[in-house]
Amino acid sequence: MSTSQDANDWEGRYYHIDQILDAPGPRTDEGFMAGDGVKDFLRNQAKILVIGAGGLGCEILANLALTGFKDIHVIDMDTIDISNLNRQFLFRPKDVGKSKAIVAAEFIMNRVPGVKVTPYFGKIQDKDDNYYLQFNLVICGLDSVEARRWINATLVNLVDPENPESLKPLIDGGTEGFKGQARVILPTITSCYECSLEMLNKPTAFPICTIANTPRLPEHCIEWASVLEWPRIHGDKKMDTDNPDDISWLYNVAAARAKEFNIEGVTWSLTQGVVKNIIPAIASTNAIIAASCCNEAFKIATSSAAYLNNYFMLIGTEGVYSYTFEHEKKSNCPVCGGDSLPLTINPETTLEELIEMLTERQDIQIKNPSLSTASKQLYLRAPPQLEEATRPNLAKKMSELIPGGGDVVVTAGTLPFNLSLDISFK
Amino acid sequence: MNDSQPLENATTSIQVPSGAPDAKTRRYDRQLRLWAASGQAALESARLLVIPASATATSVMKNLVLPGLGHFTLMDDKKVTGADAGNNFFLDGMKSIGKSRAEEGVQGLLELNDGVEGVADVRDVKEVLKSHREWLKSFDVVIAHNVDSNVLDDLADLLWPGTHLVVVNSAGFLAEFSIHYQEHQIVESHSETAASLRIDKAFPALLDYAMSLSLETMDITDHAHIPYPVILVRALEEWRREREQVSGPSSGQGAPSTAAEKKAFKERIRSMMRKFDEENFEEAESQAYKCWTTTGIPSEVKELFTLYPASESSSSTFPALVSALFQFAQNNPASPLYTSGLLPLTSTLPDMKSSTDEYVKLQRMYRAQAETEKTVFKQYLSKTQVAVDEATVDTFLKNAHALKVLKGRPWKATNPGPAEVLANKLTSQPRETATHLALAAARSLRVKGVLPALELDSDATKDITMADALDKDRLKDLLTAEVKTFLPPGTALPEEEWDVASGEIARAPSADLPTTAAFLGGLVAQEIIKMITKQYVPISAGNATSDADDQLGVCVVDLVETWTAVI
Repeated sequence: MSTSQDANDWEGRYYHIDQILDAPGPRTDEGFMAGDGVKDFLRNQAKILVIGAGGLGCEILANLALTGFKDIHVIDMDTIDISNLNRQFLFRPKDVGKSKAIVAAEFIMNRVPGVKVTPYFGKIQDKDDNYYLQFNLVICGLDSVEARRWINATLVNLVDPENPESLKPLIDGGTEGFKGQARVILPTITSCYECSLEMLNKPTAFPICTIANTPRLPEHCIEWASVLEWPRIHGDKKMDTDNPDDISWLYNVAAARAKEFNIEGVTWSLTQGVVKNIIPAIASTNAIIAASCCNEAFKIATSSAAYLNNYFMLIGTEGVYSYTFEHEKKSNCPVCGGDSLPLTINPETTLEELIEMLTERQDIQIKNPSLSTASKQLYLRAPPQLEEATRPNLAKKMSELIPGGGDVVVTAGTLPFNLSLDISFK
Repeated sequence: MNDSQPLENATTSIQVPSGAPDAKTRRYDRQLRLWAASGQAALESARLLVIPASATATSVMKNLVLPGLGHFTLMDDKKVTGADAGNNFFLDGMKSIGKSRAEEGVQGLLELNDGVEGVADVRDVKEVLKSHREWLKSFDVVIAHNVDSNVLDDLADLLWPGTHLVVVNSAGFLAEFSIHYQEHQIVESHSETAASLRIDKAFPALLDYAMSLSLETMDITDHAHIPYPVILVRALEEWRREREQVSGPSSGQGAPSTAAEKKAFKERIRSMMRKFDEENFEEAESQAYKCWTTTGIPSEVKELFTLYPASESSSSTFPALVSALFQFAQNNPASPLYTSGLLPLTSTLPDMKSSTDEYVKLQRMYRAQAETEKTVFKQYLSKTQVAVDEATVDTFLKNAHALKVLKGRPWKATNPGPAEVLANKLTSQPRETATHLALAAARSLRVKGVLPALELDSDATKDITMADALDKDRLKDLLTAEVKTFLPPGTALPEEEWDVASGEIARAPSADLPTTAAFLGGLVAQEIIKMITKQYVPISAGNATSDADDQLGVCVVDLVETWTAVI
């Protein structure tokens, strides 16, 4: 009996996987320890973290368990909704309302004996560096850009050049309808999530004057209902987009406005889609992308074959079109690059205008930033005393605040990193 | 909260139903946003047969059961082995060992959605092919994973062309699949190309409206709210009148064509601005290319007119619709200046800088014209003697600019494929073709008994050792010898690519890896959904109208470098 056998294993359990683990293939690294060595590492030592137990997460957990990972942790702050059941296949109608992480973990442990899945029902930001240091690999199946930026920056910051163990490969997947992508990030070595921020589609934003004065599309009426009418009527009461009553209220208000303006097409479903920013999601696309993520995790953990370098993009709307390429590291990436981002501005630009410019830039996407130089606080959001003290700067010209230009550090509460700007004047 | 009173009155007075969706719609919400109720209905009435209950086949089914497929039959005469229990998530681990694979698999799949009907069939497909051939043809789609080629040959001949056959093959990190159909018609291709707004061939009401505006004297706020199509139609008509030196209507022909003319035309639009920041005119300038993008029949649609000749009386809907479209394209009296060469107008307008009133006014002009042209279209359609309901006509007209008809190949024409085609492909797509050939060679060796069959019984450990014992270098040599029989004599194999592809097969000739299975499960299910819903565009051997015969329509997958390709 080999060392990798445990009480839960049965004859032939790893017949398929072991064809890979027992012998190298044509594209296998020389460091591959075929046989018991690699099996022992995969099944008894490797510890892997899955972030997200939703559409991708359910698939990822099932794949990892069958592949032979036995110590899996999963984090998700969400609870199960009925609309998850068309793809999140570890959940049943009876589970609606329960924690995704906990239900998914239980399901996997029942179905695949010998696999330990440790759930955490909460936010990734609750955990510290020591927590993340315990894993060999991290796989993300998230639908939030913010969360991805946070974990990406956290894992890049974790890298200690003196300690190779501190480099945690990050495998990230994402889907939208028939499209998706999977990528491998080796923090500080390859391009990171922040390096590719500008590849994201710009979110649809409707100008407030269109919403208020010249609605043309049903979406404009829905935005009017949610952005302007809800706070006007309900005051501080928070809108709960998961509550059908709230959606019905918005729908009725939007439909009335549409009728007034002769606009067609406001439906309950569209209302819900607009206010929740719903992205279509199906089991099959999640299966492809999650499988790709887990396949990379398996290859990296075992060295049994070369792994993705470093980006796989799939477009399934017209045939099966995919594109595999190496996304380049950005030298002025605020997370993994060393250089500051050069920015030439008009000397007349006020600090407030600069902040607006930063918020709108696709490659920066920073919300509510604070700015300072090495010697001076330009504008800080918190604490309130400092906010008040620095607020007058907003109206000042940049050429007054930093006469010769130079380095400005931008921070935002939601992101665990600083962005360095190298400002010069036109 | 005094403010709320009038609004609540307004809300209750319009008497809309609350509109909140039922439980089923909520469950399927995220997919209905892709394929709508029509796609869902098609999915719910589809019947599939799946052979056998392997990890890959059950993964495909998982992705079809979850969105609510109608019926599936899982056919497998084998018992669950330890290997099956280890790589198939839809079996119940060790508890399933020794039980029927079909029955255990169906149970695991049905847990996912109680709206789906699933039946286990414990017969051997070879027996069914002898005794119940007609029954096999009762399915819409048959999926076969790693089924021996000789069985597939018989099955494929039987099913062609009425039932679509999906063949999936995998070994370790390599895989391929193909869908065998004769022709596949798509109305709702969900093309990202929008239908033309006909700026260059404005319909009378739009042209009249554009020319009726007193641009210099109208209210300045209204001026800043003229939608860009109106501005462009006006600017183009003025340009045409000047060029033709007429004071009345132009001939409606011609558009700026040289770079200088286009530049001047954009300046003309700029000069129409009465204030420097009129965003509608800025938008018109950025959309000016629509004046010199000739509206016509897209070539792919034009080719369909030859595929379904109008003279040929047809009893089915799609050819009838295409034939009516052809007649419309030849004579559309609703568009006097441009009676030929146009598709019926669609009333879908994009958003644009404009006031509500102007936008709605424009929308109504387009809608009225679209209705008139639909009437013309329906007159042509009525001559075909095929009854088509209104909703089908509407969907067809809305998508007429992006119709697609694909062709497929029979299974035997892709396994491995015509020698000359393969030889060419080895040059143009070496790694993809080498992978396809390696998988085809392995199939061939299995039929010859050199490689053991993939479907093993629970007591077939002898066969497992036989696979393991076959020396990998020897197997690579056998694959190389076999592949040469597929190619024209003397064809050179791309050395590196062949070494990689044959080496991967030799490493794991019978491995149905969980991740490869899941990846294929997603890809194959996706294509089946596209076939069943007739929405979006599945893989094919090309457009049905194309004479080119150089595509096999096989999707090849390599999960080491992580790529997919259709060859």
